[in-house]
Amino acid sequence: MIGPAVAATGELAPATPSARRLLGYAALPLTLFAALVAALASVPLPWSVHAAWVPSLGVDLAFHVDGLAAQMLLLICGVGSLVFIYAAGYLAGTPRGGRALLLLSLFLLAMIGAVSADNLLLLFVFWELTSVLSFLLVGFSHEQEKSRKSAQQALLVTGGGGLFLLAGFLLLGDLANTWSIRELIAAAPHLVDEPLLPLALGLVFVGTFTKSAQFPFHFWLPNAMAAPTPVSAYLHSATMVKLGIYLLARLDPAFGQLLLWDVVLVAVGSITALWGALHTLRERDLKRILAWSTVASLGTLTMLVGLPNPAAALAVASFLFAHALYKAPLFFVVGNLDHGAGTRSIDHLTGMRRYMPWTAAAAALAALSMAGLPLSFGFVAKDVITAAKAEAELVALAGHAAVIVGAVSVAVAAVASLHVFWGRDNASRDAHPHEAPWTMLLPPLALALLGLLFGIMPATVDPLLAQAAQAMAPELGAVTVEASYDAAPVLTALALTLLFGGAIYAFWDGLHRTLERASWLDAYGPAAWYQRKLQALSHIAAWHTRLLQHGLLDRYLLTVLAVVTAVALLALFLSAGRWQWPAAQGVSLPLAAAGAIAVAGALATLRARDRFVLLLASGLVGYGCAALFLFAGAPDLAFTQFAVETVFVVVAAAVLPEIRGRRAAAPALPPPARIEPLKLLVAVAFGTTLSLFLLRAAGLPFDTALSEFFGANSVPVAHGHNVVNVIIVDFRALDTLGEIAVVAFALLAASPLFKLARVGRGGTP
Amino acid sequence: MIWVFAIVMGVAVAAGTYLALSRDLFRMVVGLSVIGAALNLLLFAAGRLDSTAPPIIRAGEQVLAHAANPLPQALALTAIVIGFALLCFSLVLVVRLMRATGTDDARALRAAEPPSGEGVKPPLEDI
Repeated sequence: MIGPAVAATGELAPATPSARRLLGYAALPLTLFAALVAALASVPLPWSVHAAWVPSLGVDLAFHVDGLAAQMLLLICGVGSLVFIYAAGYLAGTPRGGRALLLLSLFLLAMIGAVSADNLLLLFVFWELTSVLSFLLVGFSHEQEKSRKSAQQALLVTGGGGLFLLAGFLLLGDLANTWSIRELIAAAPHLVDEPLLPLALGLVFVGTFTKSAQFPFHFWLPNAMAAPTPVSAYLHSATMVKLGIYLLARLDPAFGQLLLWDVVLVAVGSITALWGALHTLRERDLKRILAWSTVASLGTLTMLVGLPNPAAALAVASFLFAHALYKAPLFFVVGNLDHGAGTRSIDHLTGMRRYMPWTAAAAALAALSMAGLPLSFGFVAKDVITAAKAEAELVALAGHAAVIVGAVSVAVAAVASLHVFWGRDNASRDAHPHEAPWTMLLPPLALALLGLLFGIMPATVDPLLAQAAQAMAPELGAVTVEASYDAAPVLTALALTLLFGGAIYAFWDGLHRTLERASWLDAYGPAAWYQRKLQALSHIAAWHTRLLQHGLLDRYLLTVLAVVTAVALLALFLSAGRWQWPAAQGVSLPLAAAGAIAVAGALATLRARDRFVLLLASGLVGYGCAALFLFAGAPDLAFTQFAVETVFVVVAAAVLPEIRGRRAAAPALPPPARIEPLKLLVAVAFGTTLSLFLLRAAGLPFDTALSEFFGANSVPVAHGHNVVNVIIVDFRALDTLGEIAVVAFALLAASPLFKLARVGRGGTP
Repeated sequence: MIWVFAIVMGVAVAAGTYLALSRDLFRMVVGLSVIGAALNLLLFAAGRLDSTAPPIIRAGEQVLAHAANPLPQALALTAIVIGFALLCFSLVLVVRLMRATGTDDARALRAAEPPSGEGVKPPLEDI
């Protein structure tokens, strides 16, 4: 289903590009990053750009960059630059590698648009663009079925969530009467009592939770690891999955005071964090281990956004930053291992430092930050988080979740650095491991070193984080990351986390085996639910195709008539209060007799066993109708109907022997005299509906202007006394010509068919 | 008068529709002819039945006096003739079909949609 679409775009790219050629793509993020840093240094925030796009709908190209957006932009362009460099090395020699970098470039631009948009609908457009690009990048190795399925899953979950988000945006925009995000935030205090606000927020929640892989929509993220590693590092760890968190943080000043907002975010965030931590321990593939720990981190971020105190804003900003600085290099490390040793399984990866010393160094530095050890930026972030939680009155679930996630992070950091690089060398490996090229070493080392640098000198990033936090919590004064912690609780928490984390690392294999046996997690988790629903969708489609597209012509007609009748009856029923039955007047005897003849003929057709009798009965209906015309003041109609009916009966009777002859050889039909109740019911309903329509129409006002025109002009203009004839041959002469043409064409078409049929029979024409 | 028209039209349409829903091609064509006749009644009656005088201007007069509405009559007249032409055409089609396929059972005409199991529609269990 997805393969052809991906394959179609793939044909455009050159076959196997060199690393040098792919490096050219890095010019885009590097330029943007340099420009961004220069601008941040010289122009004070916020920056605004505004241009009308679809003014009639209120959709403007409105961009607004405040502290939060600036932080996201720095991550997008900064991490992006290193990802592009890494991807050039990683994808060199890979068929269609250029296409991946082109898609990454488009993704970069879409992300920039999404985080700087100040219009809900504009934001939505960029949001969906990132979903589509994520789909294309996850499905990059479209030859593999797993890749295609993962891409489909990512698109269905995030794209489906996007529809919820759109509905939520439309509702919010309608309530606040603006599409501007800043105006929405300003108007938020007046919306608190709106009854539709919870619905709107619920829709926005679904949209953001699918994007940021929150429970129960998280399962697409680990599967998205089918993408090339630089894509995983960039989209599925550092940037795109943070978009949902970003939007929640953006709207936090508007709705952060609502109990609903806090409860949902803290609960969902905590459950996601726990669920992610639990599944981290079930994996043996290092990349999937990192993916699940990303899910846990995203859960932590969601929980932090939900905390009502302003200190949490600083925690969100710091953790967003720290996570990108340590998770992206760890993904790069996995890519290097995959590249150099040909495996990502931690069972086969031990003692790799001898073969890949630089990768080992990068892993160790990033792991320091992930574990939150002192002198790393992860430590600073952890301090701020501890401080934020200390201020909030947390429910036990959220508190425990944070501790467990912290411990699992320590264990994952230990696995990724100690186990893989420092353990005993495992000789059973097939390929001889080798170190990665510089393009794949520079990015992880640079990011990990930055993590260390900012850890030692947090003051360097203070202005950035403080501005980001103030965008989330305007009441927050001038804060600094350094000043916001108190040594004693932080060190206690750190010791606790390290202790737990060490224990998890020590018993990793045992825990893994225990959790592996818990197969109910696979059978009843949201991922299984998704699979079942996807299969159900195909089954429903097949079932309903079989139900409606059965190929039985008479049933098709029955279905169409039944639906038309139902719709028409509904229309009649809805207007039932406004119409009156026409008065019953005296009816002349001839008219009544003519009607009786027609009705008798119609009823006779139903019971006619013989085709000739059937034909005669239908002729009776025609004659009855003709008589009705005659006594209702339409002699022209009557005579035409008489003539037509007679000729039709004669013609049909002429071909009847032919049909009868065929009939004898054909398989038997059900006897025509046996009434089929369902068909009769639909037929009677259809006839009754038309009768009701006629009676309804008779009670409506009638415009006679056209008839009066014909009545007044027939003699003076057309010199004819029979108005009906004058209309046909004079006023509507062109129509009549068309009518004659139809009759002629029907004869023209019928005669060769008839002749052909004779030849087919073997007789002489 | 409108009641007579409505009842006759309704009964005839119901009978014609029932015939048209038949599996027998010949009955379908006869059903079409009955429906056609009935719908002409509908067209005529929808133009109101205020007078039973034919819409003919008396000799020496210039303007139509109180008479039946001529416009729907003109339209119905056209409809009758065209309906007749198409009925004859469908009759020939039926004869041709019967000769080509050897059956006049509408359910046996499956060239466009072969019965299930012939690979046109996915079987349920394969999905």
